[in-house]
Amino acid sequence: MEWPVWHYDGGNATRHDCTLVAGQDGFRLRDAPDPDRFYPWNAMVSVGHRNGTDLFAHRDLEGWRVIFPSGTPAELIPLLPKTKHYGGVIDRFGLWPAAAVLLALSVGLILVVLKIPEYLAPYVPMSWEKKLGDAMIGDFGGRICHGPGANKVLTDFQARLDPKGAKLDVSIVNIDMVNAVALPGGKIMLFEGLLKKADNPDEVAGVLGHEIGHVRNRDVAQALIRQFGLSAVIGGGNTGAMANALISYSYSREAEAAADDHAIGLLKAASISPDPTAAFFGKLAGQEKALGESAAALGYLSSHPLSASREKAFRDSADKTRAYKPVLSDAEWATLKAACDSDPNVKEGGLGLF
Amino acid sequence: MGIGNQDETAFEFTGSWKEFAPIALTNAVLSIVTLSFYRFWAITRERQYLWSHSRFIDDHLEWTGTGVELFKGFLLALILFGGPWLILTFGVQALVLQGYTMAAGILGVLAFLLLIMLPGFAKFRALRFRLSRTHWHGIRGGSDDPGIGYAFQTVWRTVLGYIPLTLMIPWSMTTLWKKRWDAMSFGPHNFVSNPSWEKMLGRYVICALLAPLLVVAVAAVVALGASAMSASNPSPIAVGVSVVVFYAAFFIIPIAYYAAFFREGVDTLELSTLEFRFTARTKDWLILFLGHGGLGLLALLVAGLIAAPFIATTDFSKLGASDAQVLSQASIIGLAIAYLVPFSLVMPFIRYRNWRFFMRHMEAGGEIDLAALTQSTTRRAAEGEGLLDALDVGAF
Repeated sequence: MEWPVWHYDGGNATRHDCTLVAGQDGFRLRDAPDPDRFYPWNAMVSVGHRNGTDLFAHRDLEGWRVIFPSGTPAELIPLLPKTKHYGGVIDRFGLWPAAAVLLALSVGLILVVLKIPEYLAPYVPMSWEKKLGDAMIGDFGGRICHGPGANKVLTDFQARLDPKGAKLDVSIVNIDMVNAVALPGGKIMLFEGLLKKADNPDEVAGVLGHEIGHVRNRDVAQALIRQFGLSAVIGGGNTGAMANALISYSYSREAEAAADDHAIGLLKAASISPDPTAAFFGKLAGQEKALGESAAALGYLSSHPLSASREKAFRDSADKTRAYKPVLSDAEWATLKAACDSDPNVKEGGLGLF
Repeated sequence: MGIGNQDETAFEFTGSWKEFAPIALTNAVLSIVTLSFYRFWAITRERQYLWSHSRFIDDHLEWTGTGVELFKGFLLALILFGGPWLILTFGVQALVLQGYTMAAGILGVLAFLLLIMLPGFAKFRALRFRLSRTHWHGIRGGSDDPGIGYAFQTVWRTVLGYIPLTLMIPWSMTTLWKKRWDAMSFGPHNFVSNPSWEKMLGRYVICALLAPLLVVAVAAVVALGASAMSASNPSPIAVGVSVVVFYAAFFIIPIAYYAAFFREGVDTLELSTLEFRFTARTKDWLILFLGHGGLGLLALLVAGLIAAPFIATTDFSKLGASDAQVLSQASIIGLAIAYLVPFSLVMPFIRYRNWRFFMRHMEAGGEIDLAALTQSTTRRAAEGEGLLDALDVGAF
């Protein structure tokens, strides 16, 4: 059987009006530059159609084309490859079944990536995390305050608040920001602005307890793994970036709540009143926005949104019948507050980043 | 074969948005359910449609790129650029935190240079990739230049263009255009372009001066209006006029320059005995962008309508609370859909309009010797080579 076709041989741009002479296994192109050449059907690749014409390419010959000017003849349709629509796998199953399966796979993948860090984080050796923390932070550019007696007060502070826990590296940093961070490797940094703003050491105790909570829950390792995993799986692209942002948002909330619970537990066990912490959060509620921005500068590090409802959580944990004792003496508190001002070697000022 | 007579245009776009819509719609569905992994195949399907509905003389163009190529290119781009980029950004942060301000500064400058280098590199590779995947009469284009030299050229030419009060920008843009196009070929022929930056300078200076002058004028009008009213609130007319003038300054003026630049670029472009022309004037570009803006507004409106019930049920007074889930899972999904669905649908149409605009305004004249238009001998970026071409997909 024979059909008129257009043909480009891929060698030059001349269009040949030929006749396709079909056989069982393939065809020849009469009047083509190479009329004797035999083309097997299975070497054909469908490369689209428009306005009733169908185009076929050759698997191995670049630019080689056969075009049926008025559509593929019905007799040849079973012999020629089908037109691709969405891509191999999707065409095989059909659009909607494939979309449903893909959706299920995507949801599953997100869940796995979200859950894995929880199980994985406890197995990340603290020593690795510590190395990472040292490499990233070092001594904060000489901004860690070592005022006379301050280091001992910090050690005692931690021991009284968390007597059972392993010792952590808590320090005061000469940055005028009302915040604190838990960094990789169990480093906790209280910013100078926080101490300045606090009227009472028990206020700081709640914040420190919260950071200790992050460290004990391995939140930092979790956040690092999760962020890495999410970016790897769905990095780039509109949907991906959107999902990424929303997921990490909803997750850091959970971690924050857990860290607050940890802090409340520590205060209770150490007989430290949660009321000053509650008051502190109330006092800072107005500065929520500014804090949010500075915390965002540290990216994946834990941020500490302050709000009325957080204040309430601490307030509600107070036991009116209990006799609380202050965590630090007046002298110790004064030493801590002066940790930066009394350290002549500490570097001044904020970091270029913030 | 002679072309370019008065009655028939050499380039013609024969597609219709009604035919394109099912492609855009199914692409959006598949992209959303695959967390945008499908986008490489989506772009491919879009281009197959657009190219195959673009006639040049007696036959349509053909897009032969595949989704896999774009995906592999994206992966390689991610590794080659994402890696150093991460180290650079995290490195700068670490150095600052450790007090090595000097080193951080040097790294920062490197990052900045990389930042202006990458888009130039991407632009070159995208052009090269597109030409190598565009077939006409079975013949394709391409380039054997990897574009690394061009990337360095972008850096110093761009920097130099800005130094004399940005006045040398027409020079940097036209010379880069020439460098880019002169490295490209179609079939056996090299493209040649000779845009004149001196010709662009006049319009550029007018545009560059007009913008600040207009802003000053606006300020004056507002001030006058305010004092004339002898009240603290200026007259609505003055405000209206100033708003219009302000947007005109920052929207129309760059377009007025770009329209002239693009016309100059295409009008001086030749391929063997073919000469090209681009007919779009500032007004045409304005209509194009206003249309894009309209589509964007439509998407925003739809997004707002979808999002409204979720926003209404969200208690924002609890925002920032640690112990309360401010956004329920349902709201998060709802807001994501509100954002994704309209924009996933509108973006393809913006690309469609861009391509249609381009095809409608392209003209060509001269002769083509079909027998002499032989197959391109440029390397057809095989797997593992030229994969950065995927910077083309919008990695930036």
